[in-house]
Amino acid sequence: MTKLNCLAVLALFSAGISIADADQTASATNNVATEQPMFKLGGFGTLGLSHSSQGLGDYVVDTATPKGAGLSNDWSATNNSRFAAHLNANFSPKVSALLQIDSEYHADGTYRPEVEWFSVKYAFTPNFYMRVGRIALPTFMDSENWDVGYSYTWVTPPVDLYHQLSIPSSDGIDAMYRTEIGDSVNTVKTIYGRNTLDRPNSVTTSREMWGIFDTLEYGQATYHAGYQQRMSSTEYILTGMTGPWIQNSDLSLGANYDPGDWFVMSEWIQRRSTYLSSAMYVSAGYRINKFTPYLTHSQNSSGSFIQSSPPPSAYDLQLANRAQSTDSFGVRWDFMRNFDFKMQYDRVTLSDNSNGYLINVPANVILYGTTFHVISAVVDFVF
Amino acid sequence: MGTLTILHNGWKFTLLLALLSIAFSAQAEVVVVVSSKSSVTSLTAEQTAKIFLGKVVTFPNGRTAFPIDQPEGSAIRDEFYSKVTHKNASQLTAYWAKIIFTGEGRPPQLIMGDAAVRKAVAGNPNAIGYIDKSAVNRSVRVVLKP
Repeated sequence: MTKLNCLAVLALFSAGISIADADQTASATNNVATEQPMFKLGGFGTLGLSHSSQGLGDYVVDTATPKGAGLSNDWSATNNSRFAAHLNANFSPKVSALLQIDSEYHADGTYRPEVEWFSVKYAFTPNFYMRVGRIALPTFMDSENWDVGYSYTWVTPPVDLYHQLSIPSSDGIDAMYRTEIGDSVNTVKTIYGRNTLDRPNSVTTSREMWGIFDTLEYGQATYHAGYQQRMSSTEYILTGMTGPWIQNSDLSLGANYDPGDWFVMSEWIQRRSTYLSSAMYVSAGYRINKFTPYLTHSQNSSGSFIQSSPPPSAYDLQLANRAQSTDSFGVRWDFMRNFDFKMQYDRVTLSDNSNGYLINVPANVILYGTTFHVISAVVDFVF
Repeated sequence: MGTLTILHNGWKFTLLLALLSIAFSAQAEVVVVVSSKSSVTSLTAEQTAKIFLGKVVTFPNGRTAFPIDQPEGSAIRDEFYSKVTHKNASQLTAYWAKIIFTGEGRPPQLIMGDAAVRKAVAGNPNAIGYIDKSAVNRSVRVVLKP
């Protein structure tokens, strides 16, 4: 980000703070005020450390992180550490905007702040809006809020499934329509846009990306279904080669039941590119005062190549074969207001013909079928 | 002498029980209120939860609903949310974190104190708030005793 951009963002944020402050005082003195302040500044962050017993590869939770716990570092902060500031502006009941600046470990090995999301929203009615800008994708149940550790129970959403979330946002438009059907509330979202994603050794460009996502809330239960597709091409930085445009699609189904004292949730997804693969997890937890112990099982399948696609290269085969399963247990402790502390243990087993999602494994090392252990501890906060 | 002591202790115990029951009845008992000018006469806990969690923007009769919250950390807020939404303070913060940081919405407006909430609710036929039972007067109507 250029110096000018940083200054502009800073100015916008300080204006936001002073206006938000002024409005809070106003509402304290004027009790019958029934309007919200125009600007609201908030944010969230996570400080985390993880350790892996497998020293011959790096354990990472997403495709954009260049190194993690294991080979590069005995204890690593890269998987779960981030800080974000969020400014929301309500210009009128119909027009609002949001800006979210995020600092986390990037493919280039820095924590350089980035505009994670920026959008302008027009609400035709309180139940129907359209947005333009850089918008989060609800590909899976917790993909929009993946970065907000405070918003879920785990240290990180189950890696075997969420590692397959390849595109975090869309530059384009989206629309939301919400209806009440009897006692339930149904929310449909559609998106259209494009994306450029930097990975450690490649840049993936996606265009003609569209998706439709439905969330149904009934009592204590939430159901999620989504379909998303795009044309993607990957440029490999080391070789300078650019791959062909390939149609990718993501199908997902999920359910969550949370009556308050406990929860159980599950998701299943299927990804299609030149190969077809799937993943699932089941997770449950029980809340005892400020403590929430939980258990999770997740797994994914190695990809099977689609007959109509071009013959896979050795590299394609290696990508498609990646499969692993994980059993986790952990506990979330809400030790003070707006803060939590979580610890998680993962037992990861790699498939018989892959190194799973381990990265930076030296070319002469084969870890097929092995099991290793990961311990993570994080502090999440919101403000 | 022994009988007297038992009797005396018995009295003490009764007194303690009486004090305890007063203490409990004087403890916050949250009620959900709308303006006495509102057309809404009663709500279920589920309907109230949907309004305060931002899942619906209207009362069941179709009128716009304007929820008013009490500040984080207040006993009345914790009691209201645990009874009506089955969420404790941190579950509620986690719920809103997801909604705020994805740009989907904002939590209800905050007004501090039962008297101020009652005044705001009384003056706006679309407003809905929660206050202690003892703060109810003729300007507002109780629509739910969770």
